[in-house]
Amino acid sequence: MASRDILHQLKQRFGAALPRANVAGLDRLYVFVTPEALKDVCQFIFRDLDARYIISIGADDRPYSGKFLVAHNFAFDARHVLCSVLTEVNANGGRPQVPSITEVVPPANWAEREFRDLVGIEPVGHRYPKRLVLPDGWPEGVHPLRKDVPHDFCPPDYDENRDFQFEAPPEGCVVVPFGPFHPTLDEPTHFRLYVEGETVRGCEYRGFMAHRGIEKLAETVLGYNDIPMMAERICGICGCVHNVAYAQAVENAAAIVVPPRAEYIRTIMLELERLHSHLLWVGLACHIVGFDTLFMQAFRIREPVMWMAEQISGNRKTYSLCVIGGVRWEITPELRTGLRQVLDKLEAEWQAVVAAVSRDRNLQRRTRGVGIATPELVKNAALIGPVARAAGVAMDCRRDHPYAAYDRVEFEVIVEHGGDVWSRVVVRMKEVFESIKIIRQCLDKMEPGPLQAEIKDELPPGRFGMSSVEAPRGESHHFVITGENNRPRRWRVRAPTYQNLQGIPAMIKDQQLADMTISLGSIDPCFSCTDRLEVVDIRNQQTHVWSQEELVRLARRKT
Amino acid sequence: MSVMTFLKIFAGGLANVLAVLLLAPLFEGILRKVTAVIQSRQGPPLWQPYFDLLKLLGKEDIESGESPWMQRLAAYLSLGAVLTVAWMVPMGYAPPLSPAGDAILLIYLLGLCAISTLLAGLAAGSTYSLLGISREMMTVITLEPLFAVALVIGAVHTGTLRLEAVLSGSVYAAAGFPWSGILMLGIMLLSFQAFVQRVPFDISEAETEIMEGPLVEYSGPKLALFKYAQMAKLVLYGALFVALFVPWGAGLPWYCSVPLFWLKVGVLVLLVTLVAATHARYRIDQALRYYVILLGVALVALVLASNGY
Repeated sequence: MASRDILHQLKQRFGAALPRANVAGLDRLYVFVTPEALKDVCQFIFRDLDARYIISIGADDRPYSGKFLVAHNFAFDARHVLCSVLTEVNANGGRPQVPSITEVVPPANWAEREFRDLVGIEPVGHRYPKRLVLPDGWPEGVHPLRKDVPHDFCPPDYDENRDFQFEAPPEGCVVVPFGPFHPTLDEPTHFRLYVEGETVRGCEYRGFMAHRGIEKLAETVLGYNDIPMMAERICGICGCVHNVAYAQAVENAAAIVVPPRAEYIRTIMLELERLHSHLLWVGLACHIVGFDTLFMQAFRIREPVMWMAEQISGNRKTYSLCVIGGVRWEITPELRTGLRQVLDKLEAEWQAVVAAVSRDRNLQRRTRGVGIATPELVKNAALIGPVARAAGVAMDCRRDHPYAAYDRVEFEVIVEHGGDVWSRVVVRMKEVFESIKIIRQCLDKMEPGPLQAEIKDELPPGRFGMSSVEAPRGESHHFVITGENNRPRRWRVRAPTYQNLQGIPAMIKDQQLADMTISLGSIDPCFSCTDRLEVVDIRNQQTHVWSQEELVRLARRKT
Repeated sequence: MSVMTFLKIFAGGLANVLAVLLLAPLFEGILRKVTAVIQSRQGPPLWQPYFDLLKLLGKEDIESGESPWMQRLAAYLSLGAVLTVAWMVPMGYAPPLSPAGDAILLIYLLGLCAISTLLAGLAAGSTYSLLGISREMMTVITLEPLFAVALVIGAVHTGTLRLEAVLSGSVYAAAGFPWSGILMLGIMLLSFQAFVQRVPFDISEAETEIMEGPLVEYSGPKLALFKYAQMAKLVLYGALFVALFVPWGAGLPWYCSVPLFWLKVGVLVLLVTLVAATHARYRIDQALRYYVILLGVALVALVLASNGY
């Protein structure tokens, strides 16, 4: 038993510092550690056992145990185990403190700053304890994720005029603001670049400008089965991933077994999502380097995939696929035939694109040797997804931590060794074929049966659940503590961009400013879109809401 | 100079300016439409650029840069310089201003077009526009000499700097086989895309990198002037190219030679479109390396020309 082996190794080394542990099956491990030993245990796991850092979670557990809770999650990819190192922290009169692990586990940087902001647990010894998530004008000492703070609370002494204090730029550099609004970003985030001539020497990041408080909403307002529909609104492109990941985390916590047919349908939808996300990304990358023709062609090829998704779920995006214990949409025999046709056409057209891109020297000149992420950076910034795979690190949650029906289909984990933007392009282009392969296998193997598991009693509170889902951009990780009132006590989402963004400063250092956009673009930042339109005629104040038929006609008029 | 000659020059110049102003958006429209077809899109109607310009001209004139008067100057200068060049460019017939101007004036005026962009960027004073003009400056220094070399080769061959003589195919007027002219034709074909600042050489504007660079602070009518100047540049450089390097058929009667001339310019625009639609943007260092190689070959052509080839 892999998880038991790991626990054994930890016990041998630290013994009394581990008051209790919970081996929740072959592939999940929850270890409680005393705060004093936390740093050493994490170092041992991260360096000696060579685990991959996932995320840290801070939780206000005072109503139940009178303490705060900190969890550091790690993944043993080779041994297929997700492990959580938990520490109970004394409330200390509302000012809890926990030793920071950033010094020994560098990728924990943001996560520790985040629980410092949101839950108010001070990571002692953090080298850069600057504000990360909360807005600049938010007063000190108010922490929105604490249980005694209502979800719609706005502090009365909120100071709109306070600015973020940036560091001074290095000597000889000018500051070039990149964002909050930049034509290639499409969403607000701010990189303050230090530029010498045309060369980027460094940067400081300030983001989290559109924080929506989704986790707080889930912990205070919504119920178990409402949250999946909101979870998929976290991201405009990999929404289904969050939807599935949340459902799986709760199922994992409450030991609910999902019927096989539902698992196949989840797999199909996840792969459909990867298909259109990768096609979109390749198009977008081409647009960033000024190659609009391929951008347009990629979107044309992508369109049938969206139509297919619409036929299955009624929506091009936000499929509302999962409920706890199953799925809501059936893949009927007609849909199956349609899907096969779409895949055949896509495969043929994509082969042509791949052939064209592989021969394009002009495109390669712009992407080779640009935005390099070394395997060391992958480890020390916990980079994931295509970024890691392009750097020669073969990690893929679908294979390493199988979920849904991925243990029943065959596919290849695409790995390239360049570590640059070009390698990421290649990885994504090849993964499209793997996705097609997976969907075909699912269509063949899908067995008849119910779509949802029957859940007769309420879910037990206080249980932990973890779920990792391989989104198109990398691993999406969800951590859930089940709770009362039909909703989780704590739910933490770690989207792939959260970790990949932390690798950007190292990836853009000492390269040209012109390469900044494509380097940032290569980790795939995302954007959402609206699908309803209201037109107001300002002359006569008449409003006209476009009907679905009109919009469809407008959008699909033969171009 | 008699009053008659003056009036003739004046009327001819105005006719040229009018032709450029009317044709430039049409060529831009063709460029957009063909691009759309290559990209499997329907594309805007051919006359969309005219509407775009009208719309921009009708908008509120916002002055947002650091020194508004310089911004204004730059906008007028850009279109002004381009339209002055129009007086000196043959369009299937001899250029109206040919008795007064020589090749040096033409080179200066072409330089002035680039300088107006620099001024625009300086006046805006934003970080992005400064980055844009530093790129523009590097481009100008390495690229502009190419056209000058082409004109000088013509001048060397004909032994005069007079416009009439230098333009209209004089690069091929060598004593022996026109090696220098053929060489220059190749160079200009390879660099034409850069002269009209289309992809992959739209580096100083690079929307996805530095947000239009020098033009970042422009809007409304002044932006319209810049856009107009850019469209006109495509036509004028096309006309210059055709006059210098593809002069064949100029001797036909005017009702043949003029349509033939514009047909050639049209083909050139199609070529520009095709290249723009199939390339990713170069980085400034890659582009500079490319220009420098071309410049080296151009100097070889100059040496050949001065030796009579």
